[in-house]
Amino acid sequence: MKSYVLYPGCVMPTEQYAYEMSIREVFPILDIKLVDLKGFSCCGEPIKSVNQMLSLALSARNIALAEKEGLDIFAPCPMCHLALSESKRILDSDPKMNEKINKFLLDEGLSYSGKSDIVNTLDLLYDIIGIENIKKHVKKPLKDLKVATHYGCHLIRPSEIGRPDDSENPQKMEKILEAIDAKPLDYPEKLDCCGALLTTNLPESALTKTGQKLQKVQEHGFDAFIDTCPWCHRQYDAKQIKAGETVAIKLEVPVLYLTQLLGLSFGISNEKLGLDLNLSPVNKLIIGGK
Amino acid sequence: MSNKIGFFVCHCGINISSTVDIKKLLEYAKTLDGVVISKDYKYMCSDVGANLIKDSIKKYKLDSVVIACCSPRMHEHTFRSVVEAGGVNAFNLEIANIREQCSWAHDDKNLATEKAKSLIRGAIAKAKLLEPLATSKIKVTQKALVIGGGIAGIQTALDIAEEGHKVYLVEKSPSIGGRMAQLDKTFPTLDCSSCILTPKMMEVANHPNIELLSYSEVVGIDGSIGNYNVKVKKKARYVNQDKCTGCGDCVAACRLKDRIANEFDEGIGKRSAIYIPFPQAVPLKCTIDAETCLMLTRGKCGTGPLCVEACESNAIDFKQKDEEVELNVGVIVVATGYDLLDPKSLYEYGYTRSHDVITSLQMERLISSSGPTKGEIVRPSNGEKPKSITYILCVGSRDETQCTWCCRIGCMSALKHVYLLKEKLGDDVEINICYTDIRSFGKGYEEFYRKIRGMKTNFFRGRPSEVRKSGDNLTIDIFDTTTNKLFEINTELVVLIPALVSRADAADFSRILRISQSADGFYLEAHPKLRPIDTFTGGIFIAGCCQAPKDIQDSVAQASGAAARAANILSKKELEAEPLISCVDEDLCSGCTTCISVCSYNAIEMVKDGDKSHAKVNEALCMGCGLCVATCPSGAMQQYGFKDKQLKPMIEETV
Repeated sequence: MKSYVLYPGCVMPTEQYAYEMSIREVFPILDIKLVDLKGFSCCGEPIKSVNQMLSLALSARNIALAEKEGLDIFAPCPMCHLALSESKRILDSDPKMNEKINKFLLDEGLSYSGKSDIVNTLDLLYDIIGIENIKKHVKKPLKDLKVATHYGCHLIRPSEIGRPDDSENPQKMEKILEAIDAKPLDYPEKLDCCGALLTTNLPESALTKTGQKLQKVQEHGFDAFIDTCPWCHRQYDAKQIKAGETVAIKLEVPVLYLTQLLGLSFGISNEKLGLDLNLSPVNKLIIGGK
Repeated sequence: MSNKIGFFVCHCGINISSTVDIKKLLEYAKTLDGVVISKDYKYMCSDVGANLIKDSIKKYKLDSVVIACCSPRMHEHTFRSVVEAGGVNAFNLEIANIREQCSWAHDDKNLATEKAKSLIRGAIAKAKLLEPLATSKIKVTQKALVIGGGIAGIQTALDIAEEGHKVYLVEKSPSIGGRMAQLDKTFPTLDCSSCILTPKMMEVANHPNIELLSYSEVVGIDGSIGNYNVKVKKKARYVNQDKCTGCGDCVAACRLKDRIANEFDEGIGKRSAIYIPFPQAVPLKCTIDAETCLMLTRGKCGTGPLCVEACESNAIDFKQKDEEVELNVGVIVVATGYDLLDPKSLYEYGYTRSHDVITSLQMERLISSSGPTKGEIVRPSNGEKPKSITYILCVGSRDETQCTWCCRIGCMSALKHVYLLKEKLGDDVEINICYTDIRSFGKGYEEFYRKIRGMKTNFFRGRPSEVRKSGDNLTIDIFDTTTNKLFEINTELVVLIPALVSRADAADFSRILRISQSADGFYLEAHPKLRPIDTFTGGIFIAGCCQAPKDIQDSVAQASGAAARAANILSKKELEAEPLISCVDEDLCSGCTTCISVCSYNAIEMVKDGDKSHAKVNEALCMGCGLCVATCPSGAMQQYGFKDKQLKPMIEETV
């Protein structure tokens, strides 16, 4: 059993509970122990454009907390994962910045050394746990469930800092879904933006982006839409009806976290996976060949 | 040890004299030990300057000469001949570079003069210790090997053959012709490609001085300039070349007819397992594809191989084996061409997601009247004529994540296609061109571009972010940088113009040839401006796209250049070998073999000497690069003309 510090970020513990619930159900089955730590702060990403130094310091502080435990960090939110990974890259490659940030950390008796790795849901499942291990735990194969994957931008870009999957042709989620007998199909709009980042400035445009993508997904006849990012998920799940209005269509696409669908195939109950918290019509799904 | 040194200083017009005080140098040189005469002239490289040196050698009985002038790269050769004509060994000459390394680099005349003084002080210190060296003679095998039967290789072979020398032309595919044979028309004149290429191919086939080894590969090379020993593998065609008449009856009879992707048609057309790549192939002989032929893969073909039944001349021979032949040549010209970047590596352009995304070469095959569609332009997905075609230029070119260089032919080939497509599909066909910059740099290119701009074509300046399916069509998102607007293009056929890259086997082949690659993978020329056809390996030249991307006209020009460079060697019975090579002090050598590991020319071997062994330099192979000298831990490796005992006093005097 391998242990990871679970870095929850802000969206998951305040609003996207279903992601956290399904994570806490699925990973122990896959022999991953999730360790909770006290004292985590914001990952730093939301203030990067205002104060890059503070953003770096916040990320480094979070990593330093995990280092103190001698554990790697599991950041399920791709935005947190990006912030932590980017900071790690800067601190590992720039000795001057490393020194500066470590001075900040000293106030709290912390230090950053770079020995903790930072993983996301996707590389934890695909690269660390592995497809074969996932297959072993499938109790209710998702017989040919036609699923559309959505990676979101933070998970795959910018490619030069090393992201969990390829920026133009990500395939790990597809491989994981095939392992539980679902049928992930390629569709032209796969890499389209969810719109979430436009929400504060151009809320209408944000919803239009969401609506346009879901409209295509519905037209292609997918049974479910699978994501791993709480920001994207909020757009597609909670805001689905509103998004439908922007494209003048009634959207009825079941939107699930990858970990929720995995949990279903492992035979975990809907309640434990937080499925009743999803606002999209997930009850349309029939799992396990009923 | 030289005691009578003549010192000469050149003004180089005002290149040197405006920054260095020549008079002071002359006076200074006279004060140095060993200098018996100190003279200047405005242009020492002129006849008058040369005579001044020659006369002085005789008059003052000089045994060494020091010339303060431009870089030895410019005139060392000239002055060696002058000194030799004067009666002193050509290698008893030392040049102090006071132009590139002094006058051109400085403004302050006093300081520059002081620096020039220290440079000549060092040169004179070394000159005292120079030893006469003898050049050896190498016999030349007056035959050439040309590797690659594309337009560059064809042109080189023909030019050398016309000089009267025997040429072996080795081509790895079943026919010569290369990329040019795949093209329909050529820009900017719209000459029919095969109409101008086929006569040259026939000339190769019929030239008495050319021996064509098609379907063959160079697998090993030994030797050096003037005498290369080349191993060539002749791959089995499983068809007796002497008997085959090229009638094609077997091709039509083959059980796998129209079932195997045809490489010549870039995978669009289909062929049989026994095939002739294209109607104008040279040699016009059949070849059996051993990878797919049922007899060769399974040992069984239905009730019996239909090709054997169809062949009236009994040419088919399933028992044929690969053969290895050895060739002796004096020079080698490499003309192995290029590959197209596989657009699969740029997933966003949809090459793997849609049949209606094709490459420029596939489009050439569609346009060609001898192509898989007999010249009909159709969408691969449904076989219908496209009403809208979009070109994406610079696919992987000028892209820091793929190929940083320009492919030099993409813009013009897209413009050429516009003309040909409008001709075939009518003026109403919509053609969009997504470009980075249109580079119409060659003779007549800009005029051609102007003509196309008048032909109802949409030009978008930008790189599409994605090509995606949208119903039966494709949509392209592109941000146009001339209007600062995001466009969505809906189109039926997308043509990608991929980057030109070095051949997939370029790295392996460069090791066989012992030539270098530049960072981009193409073969490296000895000097980008002044020796663009030579490699660092004597007697091996490069022509065409294996050196860098270029168009047909430049390839042909370079090919003729390579032939001329080759003829420089082939026209001589003997060559003089440079004596500035490595030598071994056998008493100092510990036999550690470090020198062998750094030598790129296989010029050093270990020889037994009683119970110890020491390094030995093969004088014919050593190129005098000096790497072994610098690496030798014991100082046993020395280089003639640059021995430690000559360089150390020079350094001490200079600094």
